[in-house]
Amino acid sequence: MVNSTGVGSQSLLYVLYEHASGYSLFRVHEFEEIGMLLPQVEQSVLDLSKFATVVKLIAFFPFQSGINALDNTNSISEGLVHDDLHNFLETNLPKPSKRAKMILGVADSKIASTINEQFSITCQHTGVIPELLRGIRVHFPNLIKGLTDQNQNKAQLGLGHAYSRAKVKFNVNRVDNMII
Amino acid sequence: GRGGGGGGRKVVVVPHRHPGVFIAKGKDDDMLLTKNLVVGESVYGEKRISVDAENAEKIEYRVWNPFRSKLGAAILSGVDSIHMPPGAKVLYLGAASGTTVSHVSDIVGPTGLVYAIEFSHRSGRDLLNVAKKRPNIIPIIEDARHPHKYRMLIGMVDTMFADVAQPDQARILALNAHHFLKDGGNFVISIKASCIDSTAAPEAVFAEEVKKLQSEKLKPKEQITLEPYERDHAIVVGTYRPLGKAKKEVNQNE
Repeated sequence: MVNSTGVGSQSLLYVLYEHASGYSLFRVHEFEEIGMLLPQVEQSVLDLSKFATVVKLIAFFPFQSGINALDNTNSISEGLVHDDLHNFLETNLPKPSKRAKMILGVADSKIASTINEQFSITCQHTGVIPELLRGIRVHFPNLIKGLTDQNQNKAQLGLGHAYSRAKVKFNVNRVDNMII
Repeated sequence: GRGGGGGGRKVVVVPHRHPGVFIAKGKDDDMLLTKNLVVGESVYGEKRISVDAENAEKIEYRVWNPFRSKLGAAILSGVDSIHMPPGAKVLYLGAASGTTVSHVSDIVGPTGLVYAIEFSHRSGRDLLNVAKKRPNIIPIIEDARHPHKYRMLIGMVDTMFADVAQPDQARILALNAHHFLKDGGNFVISIKASCIDSTAAPEAVFAEEVKKLQSEKLKPKEQITLEPYERDHAIVVGTYRPLGKAKKEVNQNE
């Protein structure tokens, strides 16, 4: 059965969330009435205790260094699966024999098709998934042990500078044409 | 050297209605100010004013030119709220060289954060230099049309500001809001009529843009024009996914 949320009632739903500090995988709790998932997620986004009953952290892979974080960010930005992400998913997703039944929620269509090619699992980036990702973004520092609002901002700050410096540098030949 | 509007003439600085914004009351004219986060430095050649604080310390302010900043113009045009109090997290689309961004950085202060998105590499280099000295600015050189490209760099924000001057700017604002703007968060968008449709009447263009925003859960609350600072420009301020009664109760229970 597939309904408005696009998630069949018999499926196991997981969500991949990429953050400046690392990769995380969440499992979405099963709902008796799957049609209730979207409104429930929308409601629970405002309340951590409610949201924590909707998603459960399965695994978190912290980036090993600034360079490692930048490498992974560049891959995600292009919709590619970095080796780190490949290993992370291989280790933490259900066993290959059980993957036919599961759905992995991801943030965009490119990463969805790349993961689908590599793991032969169904990926989804619409319906309830963007709402789940919003909720994870709101509560992320509270969902990961040891992460605070301050140190997540710090990770974003360092990564933002590194990512942007590389963008500007790698395109030295690119000139914004002046219109005089 | 030491900046000072009027070169040593006595000025009195008073807080503006908007938290974090100040006004210098001079003899002839008033000036818009923000409290300088990086004392001793100007960002784009703007003047600085130093005044004595109560405990014999000096507080330095930077003069904010409304002819160079649409947000500055909006404040002087009497906008009801800019939704950027000290401590706020702001996503700024169309950061350009970082002139207005630097004032937003002053306003939200050391406990706030500005995610500054700019696509042009030329402006981006200047933006990176501004951000180097201001640790509350996270510079992101990327296309605001593709928020999924920079999704790892941004957390949930309280307010979004957009000054991208693109025909599809309402869509760009909406795309980013769906990813990064919290429920009940606010947006401020600058609309240059000629960038969207140079043949239609500006008022008609503004009305059309407001309609587009409404269809994306972006509920406009206020619209002002920026005369005499900018011609045929409007600023629209509103709320994203306004919190209903039930949701407000949830919030209070936290």
